[in-house]
Amino acid sequence: MHLDPFELHRPTTIDETVALAGRLAPDVDYIAGGTDLLPNYKMRLNVRANLIALEDVTELRGLTLDRVGAMVRLADLEGNPEFANAFPGVAEAAGEVATPLVRASGTVGGNLLVETRCFFFNQSYPWRESLGFCLKADGDKCHVVPQKVKCYATFSGDLAPSLAVVDAEAEIAGPHGRRRVPVANLYDQGGDGIRRHHLGPGELIVAVHFPSASRGLRATYRKLRIRPSYDFPELGVAVAARRGSDGRVERLALALGGLETFPRRFDELTAALVGTVPTETGVRALAEAVQKSVRPVHNTFLAAEYRKKMAGVFVRRATAHVLGLGETAG
Amino acid sequence: MAEAHTPPYRLIGGRIPYIEGPLKVTGRAEYTDDIRRPGQLVARLLRSPWPHARLRSIDVSRAKAMPGVAAVMTGEKYPTPFGVLPITHDETAIAVGKVRYIGDIVAAVAAVDEATADRALRAIVVDVEPLPEYTDPRTGTEKVAEPIHARGLNGTNIQKEVVQHFGDVDAAFAKAHASVRVRGNFAGVTHAFTEPMATIAEATPDGRLTVWSATQVPHYLHRALSEVLGIPMHRIRVIKPEVGGGFGGKSDPLPHEIICAALSIETGRPVKLLFDREDVFVTNHGRHPTQNDVRIAVDRDGKILAYDIEALIDGGAWSSFGTVTTYYNGVLSMGPYRVPNFRYRGRRVYTTKPPSGAMRAHGGTNIRYSVELALDDLAERLQIDPFDLRERNALPPHSTTVNQFRITSTSFVKCLHAARERSGWDAKFRQLPYGKGVGLGCGFYISGSNSPIHFTPKMPQCTVHLKADMDGGIAVHCMQADIGQGSNTLLAMIVAEVVGVDLDRLHVVRVDSDVSPVDIGSYSSRVTFMMGNAARQAAESLRDQLVRAAGRITGYPPEKLEVGHEKISVRHRPDVSVSYLEALHGAMERTGALLATGAYTSPPMGGDFKGARAGTAPAYSFAAYVAQVDVDVETGIYRVEKVWAAFDCGRALNRLAVEGQIEGSIHMGLGQLMGEAMNYRGSRLMNPSLLEYKIPMPQQMPEVECLLVGDDDPEGPFGGKEAGEGPLIATLPAAGNALYDAVGVRFHDLPITPEKVVRGIELRHQAGRPWKGDG
Amino acid sequence: MSSRPMARIRINGSAVEVACAPERILLDLLREDLNLTGTKRGCDLGTCGCCTVWLDGRPVLSCLMLARLADGHEVTTIEGVTPANGLSSVQKAFVELGATQCGFCTPGFVMTATALLRDRPGATREEIERAISGNLCRCTGFLKIVDAIQAAAKEPA
Repeated sequence: MHLDPFELHRPTTIDETVALAGRLAPDVDYIAGGTDLLPNYKMRLNVRANLIALEDVTELRGLTLDRVGAMVRLADLEGNPEFANAFPGVAEAAGEVATPLVRASGTVGGNLLVETRCFFFNQSYPWRESLGFCLKADGDKCHVVPQKVKCYATFSGDLAPSLAVVDAEAEIAGPHGRRRVPVANLYDQGGDGIRRHHLGPGELIVAVHFPSASRGLRATYRKLRIRPSYDFPELGVAVAARRGSDGRVERLALALGGLETFPRRFDELTAALVGTVPTETGVRALAEAVQKSVRPVHNTFLAAEYRKKMAGVFVRRATAHVLGLGETAG
Repeated sequence: MAEAHTPPYRLIGGRIPYIEGPLKVTGRAEYTDDIRRPGQLVARLLRSPWPHARLRSIDVSRAKAMPGVAAVMTGEKYPTPFGVLPITHDETAIAVGKVRYIGDIVAAVAAVDEATADRALRAIVVDVEPLPEYTDPRTGTEKVAEPIHARGLNGTNIQKEVVQHFGDVDAAFAKAHASVRVRGNFAGVTHAFTEPMATIAEATPDGRLTVWSATQVPHYLHRALSEVLGIPMHRIRVIKPEVGGGFGGKSDPLPHEIICAALSIETGRPVKLLFDREDVFVTNHGRHPTQNDVRIAVDRDGKILAYDIEALIDGGAWSSFGTVTTYYNGVLSMGPYRVPNFRYRGRRVYTTKPPSGAMRAHGGTNIRYSVELALDDLAERLQIDPFDLRERNALPPHSTTVNQFRITSTSFVKCLHAARERSGWDAKFRQLPYGKGVGLGCGFYISGSNSPIHFTPKMPQCTVHLKADMDGGIAVHCMQADIGQGSNTLLAMIVAEVVGVDLDRLHVVRVDSDVSPVDIGSYSSRVTFMMGNAARQAAESLRDQLVRAAGRITGYPPEKLEVGHEKISVRHRPDVSVSYLEALHGAMERTGALLATGAYTSPPMGGDFKGARAGTAPAYSFAAYVAQVDVDVETGIYRVEKVWAAFDCGRALNRLAVEGQIEGSIHMGLGQLMGEAMNYRGSRLMNPSLLEYKIPMPQQMPEVECLLVGDDDPEGPFGGKEAGEGPLIATLPAAGNALYDAVGVRFHDLPITPEKVVRGIELRHQAGRPWKGDG
Repeated sequence: MSSRPMARIRINGSAVEVACAPERILLDLLREDLNLTGTKRGCDLGTCGCCTVWLDGRPVLSCLMLARLADGHEVTTIEGVTPANGLSSVQKAFVELGATQCGFCTPGFVMTATALLRDRPGATREEIERAISGNLCRCTGFLKIVDAIQAAAKEPA
């Protein structure tokens, strides 16, 4: 398999990068680790004539407890003991992405912006041509829900939910300067599988910032997939919590990915447990409420029904775990 | 499991690393895509986007005119049909007249590089008349206006129908104490070897054509090339480089191999054709999606009275090995137990999907799963331990089945005892907590199909040539195809053992039809048995030449001499000896380099009825596995924790290789059980990638304990039998029965994904059936 | 403004300067332009690990790497981890313990395993399984591969 020709640009500063992107738009993509972009390019999915490599932009690097550069490799995040201690859920999620080989190249920024997935989209050009192209690439209809003109490709990143529940913020640079957005708000809750995040043209994620108040939260990331390696999340549950010395829940945040076109926090539902002494009943109620509210479609290996049910199971188990209740059967 | 080789042999029975191992671990082993011929062109294929369509016109003019394009070819250039079985030549190299599945080859281009070839493909304009697609095999038995193949039975899409009846099945069911009916639905699975297909062809000005290809069947490829291209075989040379896995997926001569050769003939230049991974999936030839309907009747002691089996087999677009598959899905239920009454109706239907073919434990896997789950059900109802039920029914050694399979050696009962004891079965069965369970699964498999498919049984199925010369080495020539199962190593071991020399004197020459005597290839698990026997014979012939020379040198008659390690000495007089080299040079004095030949022809066997030979084999392997599983009952995610694999391959000739085959087979079997599936939506393959085709990961592999308890087979080389396919079969029912022990649900359909486990438990709850304290 | 048309990469310890289009993939450059055919092509999409090489000593998928982006870095292939004479302890263990059957995935595993033992010589069986879970093997079922890596860990490099 070969790639169609493109121009490869290698800026070294953020300003240069943003300016380049502006000049080359819209026929331009950023390439970070390449582990998500290159397979898609080989399958001729929305390829551009210009790639801007972020490899040499030094400001995108660097890993501290306060700030993780967008170009930090997932393997480095996973393998940093200090970081894992402060943000166990995030380190766990980083270690669940794909395979060790992918994590050696794949980046934090890349995983946040990983392309949404669908088994009608993630196919070769001849395959898609034979069926008829879809809304997300070269076509005008959705094969999953044919009666709607809306894309149902699923958000498939592992990091975002874990970052969301520790109130991490994405620092974004663009033609209009810098801004910060909570990771949870990075994704378009009203969008779809195509228009799925709030980055404007030419904008890129520079780094993820972590509030020091979130250090040491009990957190975990649970990933539903057929195999313990390679596979994208059919469901991803991230939860982070802290209990006070009186046993009451001081903080509780929950986010799910891998089910819909965007990852989602469930603050309205978790709020009910904050300030209470958590019980199995309360956790179960939370899980059931989450399960009721998610609406996956059948565009991945496992049936939507099952993934919806597992949302309840995983939320219950993960929440019980971080609240110190033990993960007993339902 | 470090063991010294079993006396009285020096090498046989030992743990012998593969002789080409050092080349593989350093990246120096040469696979087809590693070869580059000067001036080679790249070939790419245009594949049909239609599941079924009549080809009205193909306009290649723009493609042909592109700079860098050397040739564009369509089907009418070489329309002669071919196929792996002589009786079903229904494929053409490139589609002629119509296309029959999404992926069927419509045109081929040879160009200076891949990008140019792909651009040329996109410039080809194909005009078709769409035809109905046929995706549900159940409709395959109906008469249709436009069958996929004209040869479909009576205007239907039935490719093959087998009806057999031995004894009186209805009478047996009438008097049975108990009976059970099981219906199984099995998704298709595929080989998914790591090396994609690759072929290089080079037509040279001397009128010869050389083809390097990743194939399991160099001889069948040789024949097919000759037939389709119209070139006599002696002008074609087939070379088999190192092959990165086959498992039956490279055991047909494949269209792309012929196309590659045709393009080289047309352009006068070498042409390389390398598959993308999607090409590999769409070429398929994997295990057939199957629906079976199995009834078993037993008496009050659990002795089997009858099997009544129906199978509906989804063949996809081509025949491949399908005629054999249709027989196997019935007849390979005839062991390891005595079945006095047997009725089978099997139908294989064409569908407009990627063709299925032979895949490891071809035809013996799906039926075995259904039978073993049915037997477990009966054991439960009769309150007989599953092991006892099996043992009561075991085929005795040196017996004949009701459909006239000749059974010689069987250590099946020893397998049962070993698996039962080592697994701690009696303390575990039905006694582990809810969610954990153990299960027994058994099986048997042919050690080589008894009848060669191309020529009469009088021709040997394998011939081995040995050459021993001045350099002191022994070159071994044989067309057997090492595809990673270690047959080169076994070949060298056998010769080294018999001739008494160090293994490193042996040089197994790369398969080259110019010098390698025919062996019909690596399929049906024939190589250990048949190549092994031929090799032994050749080695004995060589040894005899050396012994005669040693006799001349020492003055002792040959019958007083014995072969030792690198020497030949007088029996009881070890001080009188000649070294191997001395004997060799002595033998060479009159003739120059020594030659020796050996061959294997299987003995005649089988009944007189139609299809009698299907499933006959000169020996069979047997297996009894116990699997232990742990199920997360809420998510349905389960893990097979351990498999005790008691296997009878006769004498395990290379224990390292046999273990490797058992472990690899268990991995592949568990893959089919747990999640591998060719997922179709209608005619369309939805998951032609290694990401979406779920091969299990290392963390999912159970611990495996191999229990090699076979007794020597009377006809196998050094008593050995196959260990390449049989080890897969017992894996699935062992795990399936273990899942029943764990959660009280019998999963008859494969794969058993977590959602099915959850659903099964739900249904059990709804039916009000508690299990081990649950529900 | 595009980068210059050549890539300058250190490969197995030697500086190599090779004409290289921006879209050229590292795996293709290695196998086709430099004749380093020890690294294998199994899927071209990062789903099998047969193409594993080291980038600055770290195992990565060469089929998902633009050759130009290896510019300025150190690439090591299977040819580079093989000693001039004989086999490394990982290679020897793979041969002796039956961890290689068809051998097509083997160079990728050797690259992953060698790096693992270099960085984590005391890796447990579980850690080994996890570390190799990006390399697919269809022949062995992984068991003897893990055995071989454990055995190699006990040998002096």
